[in-house]
Amino acid sequence: MSDSKFVVIDGSETEYREGETVLHAARRLGIEIPTLCHDDRLEPAGACRICLVEVEGSRLMQPACAFRTAPGMVVRTNTTRVDRNRQFIISLHLADTVADRDEAEDVSISRLHEYTEKYGVAEGEWQHVGSPREGRPDDENPFIAFRADRCIVCAACVRYCDEVEGVSAITLANRGGRTTIATADLRSLDHTTCEMCGGCIAVCPTGAMTEKPALFYGKPERELEKVRSTCNFCGVGCQIDINVDRNANRIVKVTSPPPGTTVNDGNLCVKGRFANDFVHHPDRLTVPLVRETDGRLREASWDEALERAVRGLQGVKETHGVDSLAFISSSRCTGEENYLLQKLARAGFGTQNIHQCAAT
Amino acid sequence: MTNSIPEIRDADFLFVIGSNTTEAHPIIAMEMKRAVQRGARLAVADPRKIWLTEIADWHLQIKPGSDVWLLNAMAHVIVTEGLENREYIEANTEDFEKVREAVLRYTPEEAELFTGVPARTIREVARAYATTKHAGIYYTLGITEHTTGTDNVYALSNLVLMTGHLGIASAGMNPLRGQNNVQGANDAGATPVFYPGYQRAADPEVRAKFAEAWGVAQNEKKGLNLNEMMKSMQRGEIRALYIMGEDIVISEPNVCKVESAMNELDFVVVQDIFFNESCRFADVILPAACFAEKDGVFTNSDRRVQRVRKAVEPPGGARADWEILVDVMRRAGMKQPDYAGPGEVYAEMAALAPKFAGISHERIDREGGLQWPVLGPEDPGTQYLHKGGVLRGKGLFMPVEYRAPFEEADVEYPLILSTGRTLYHYNAATQTRRSEGLSKKQPEAFVEVHPRTARDLGIEDGQIVDVVTRRGRVRCRAMHSKQVKRNTIWMPFHFPAARTNELTTDAGDAVTGTGEYKVCAAKLEPVDEHSLHTFPGSYLTPSEVAEGE
Repeated sequence: MSDSKFVVIDGSETEYREGETVLHAARRLGIEIPTLCHDDRLEPAGACRICLVEVEGSRLMQPACAFRTAPGMVVRTNTTRVDRNRQFIISLHLADTVADRDEAEDVSISRLHEYTEKYGVAEGEWQHVGSPREGRPDDENPFIAFRADRCIVCAACVRYCDEVEGVSAITLANRGGRTTIATADLRSLDHTTCEMCGGCIAVCPTGAMTEKPALFYGKPERELEKVRSTCNFCGVGCQIDINVDRNANRIVKVTSPPPGTTVNDGNLCVKGRFANDFVHHPDRLTVPLVRETDGRLREASWDEALERAVRGLQGVKETHGVDSLAFISSSRCTGEENYLLQKLARAGFGTQNIHQCAAT
Repeated sequence: MTNSIPEIRDADFLFVIGSNTTEAHPIIAMEMKRAVQRGARLAVADPRKIWLTEIADWHLQIKPGSDVWLLNAMAHVIVTEGLENREYIEANTEDFEKVREAVLRYTPEEAELFTGVPARTIREVARAYATTKHAGIYYTLGITEHTTGTDNVYALSNLVLMTGHLGIASAGMNPLRGQNNVQGANDAGATPVFYPGYQRAADPEVRAKFAEAWGVAQNEKKGLNLNEMMKSMQRGEIRALYIMGEDIVISEPNVCKVESAMNELDFVVVQDIFFNESCRFADVILPAACFAEKDGVFTNSDRRVQRVRKAVEPPGGARADWEILVDVMRRAGMKQPDYAGPGEVYAEMAALAPKFAGISHERIDREGGLQWPVLGPEDPGTQYLHKGGVLRGKGLFMPVEYRAPFEEADVEYPLILSTGRTLYHYNAATQTRRSEGLSKKQPEAFVEVHPRTARDLGIEDGQIVDVVTRRGRVRCRAMHSKQVKRNTIWMPFHFPAARTNELTTDAGDAVTGTGEYKVCAAKLEPVDEHSLHTFPGSYLTPSEVAEGE
C-alpha cells in the first residue's frame, strides 16, 4: 500500500475514496470508459469485458466497473492494448447480434452500436454467427418485447429484475451459445411475477428488450423528440422523458432519465412507463358541451360555454349567496391551476369553499 | 414527508404502516427493497399480506381500524422499558408526560386482543424502532382514511418525538402522497384552511394580505372541506359546484347520497379530460388538456417542486386548465394581470408565499426540482425538515385514546370491508382503464376473500357475488386470497361498473373530514350466474358502449 492519497488515471490525479471502482474514479476525472453490462444501480458483474483497463503492476487488464481503486494506483485507459480489446469485444458482439446500426436501432438506441462508431469498428469484421438463442415468440404480455437475435447476454436485465425491482421474473437459461433470457417454463411475462416496470428495457444496451407499443409504432427513438416532464400518477414525482413524434403530434413512448440524475434514479413503474394511451384516446373531450332545457347535452363554442358557466355561477350566487357555491380543485392538475382556482373562488366569487380530493 | 425519497435506501429500520408501497408507490418500494438488501430491518403493519411482507422481518397483520391500539402499545413498550430519547424530548418537545401517562394502560397483551398482533411482536418492533438511529416511518391512506385518521397520525408522531427520529437523514415521519400533485394542490391553497404557502385562512392578517394583493375583500366565513361540501349539498345549502379534474361520483364515499344531492344542484360546471361520471350532472362541460399537453409544476411527496412540460398539442378544442380558468376569471370581471403562461402564475404565488419565495420556473429548468421551503434565490432548498430542532419551536406530544371505527362487524354485516388501489390501475381509472395493456392485465373489479371465509359462505373462487353494506350493493367477482385475514374482505375502487364507494361510509375524521374508506361492515351474497346475461363488473368506455349499441 502506498501512502498516496491519490489515484492516477491517464496521468490525471484524483483523490482516493475507499471502496470506489476505477469506473467511478475515472468519471470524476471526466474520463469515459465504455460499459455495456454495467448500471450504477446494480452490483458490478464484469460480464461484458468492454471496460477492461490497464492497472500498473497487474499483468492482466482489469474490469473498471468492478475493480476497486487503491491509494497510489496508476490506471491507463488510453493505450493501444485497451483500444484493441474494446474493438475486439465490440466485433465479437457484432458477430452475434444485428450488425447494421439502422436495423439495430429500429426502436431503441443501442449503446453497442454507438461504441461501434466511436471506437472505429468496421461492421462485418467477423462472420455473423447468429447464436441459436431461444426467444419467447408466443409471449402475449402487452408491454415488453424480447428480441433474442439482438441479445448479447450481458444479463443487465436479469440483474435489474432481481436486484432493483426484486421480482426475479426473468432469468438466464441454457448454456454456451444457447444462453438466453427466459422466464420460468417460457411463460408469457404477464403470467410471471413480472410487474411490467420495464426496467429491463431501460438497462438493455442493444435494444433486445424493447417497448412493444413503440415496436408496433415503428419509428426509431433517434427520430423522436424527448420532453422532460413529471409523471402524472402517484406522488413520487418520477421524472420522465416523453418521446414524441412531432409530425404526428403523438406520444410514442416514455423513457426514464439516466440513473443518479433524478428522484426516481432512472426507475419507472408500469403506469409511468406504459399507461399513456389515455392521452390520445378517442374518448377525450374535445368540444365544450352545454345542457339544453330538455336535459340533453349539445356541443357549443368556447365563448358560449364560458359565458354559460360564469352566468350560471353568478345566478346562484345572487339567489342563494356566496356560500352556496363550492369549488373542487384537483391534485391531478398543476400547482398553478390549483392557485388559479382558489383565487377564482376567493377573489372572483368571494367564498372560502375551495378544496380537493387530496386532504389526506 | 419530513425526509426525502432518496434517503430511504440508507435507513436502518423501516416501519411501513397503512401503505401498500409496492403497488401504490412502486418507486419508493424500490428504495425500501434496496434498504432491506443492504441489511435494514423492515416492519410492515397492514391488514393484508401485501408484497412487502415477503421481505419484512415482521408483519403486523392488524385488524382494520385498531391502529391507535398498536401504536400506543408500541409507545407503552418504549416508555416502560426506558427506551425513549430523554435528551431529545427535553430539548425539543412539550407534554411528553401526558403521552407517557396515556399509553401506560395500553399494554401489548391487551393490544393483542384488539389488533390481533402478538404482544411479543409489538415489543420486538417497538424496541427495534426505538433503538435504531436511522429509523423512518412511512405511511399513507391506511392511516388517514379513518374516522380516527388524525388520532392515528398523532399516535405516530408521538413515536417519532419520543425516540427523536426527526431532523436527521433517513428517518422522520413520511406520509407518501397518493397523487402526483396532492402536495402541490395544498401548497397552492386549494383548501379551505390555508391560503397559498400554508398561510392560515382563519388569520385576519393573512386574509388582509391576500385582499390587498388581489384587490378584493376576503370572506371571513370558514370554508367547507370536501366532506362537508358533500353533506352541505345533501342539505341543500351548496347550490352550485365547479369541479376541475375530479370525479366525485366515483371517488367520494357513500356515492349514492352524493349522486342524489348532485341531482338537486342548480348549476354544475365540470372541467375534465374525459366525460366522467360527474359529467352526467353537469350543465357545462369544459374539455381540458392533460398533463402532457401543458406547462406547470407538480410537487411530489418530498416537497419537490418539478416541472411539467408540454409535449404534444391537446386534441381538438381542448385547452389547458389554466387557460380556461384565466378566461373564466376575466369573464367574472376579475382584475388581474394577463398571465403570459404558468411561469407568471407561479411567480405571483411565490411572491405571496414565503415558503416558495426562491422557486421559479426558470430556476427549476436550470437546477432541476427544488424542495421547499426555499426562502430565496440562493437557498438550495430543504432535503429534510426539523433539522436542529422542531420547526414550530417545540414538538407537541398529543395523547390519543382508542376510538372504535364508525362501523364494526355485527350479526347482520359480519365482515370488515377495506378498500384500496392496485398496481395496474389508478383511482377512478379514467386514464388507466383506457390502456389496453393494463386492462388486459386487470380487466375487472374483484373482492378478495379468505378461502375459509369463502368456504363458510359457500363462495367459489371466481364466483360472482354481491358485496352489501348498509349503503349499497355492488356486484363483482370473488377472489380467494390468503392476503386477507378471515372475516376481512378487500376491494379496489377503480371500476365505474362496480362502484366500491357505494359501499363505503362517509363518516369522516373530525378534523380533516377524510372519509373512512378503510373500514366498514359488510356481507357477501353469492349470485346465481345463470341469471346473468352480461357480467356487470367489467368496464366499458363510452365508445365501447356506443359500439355495443
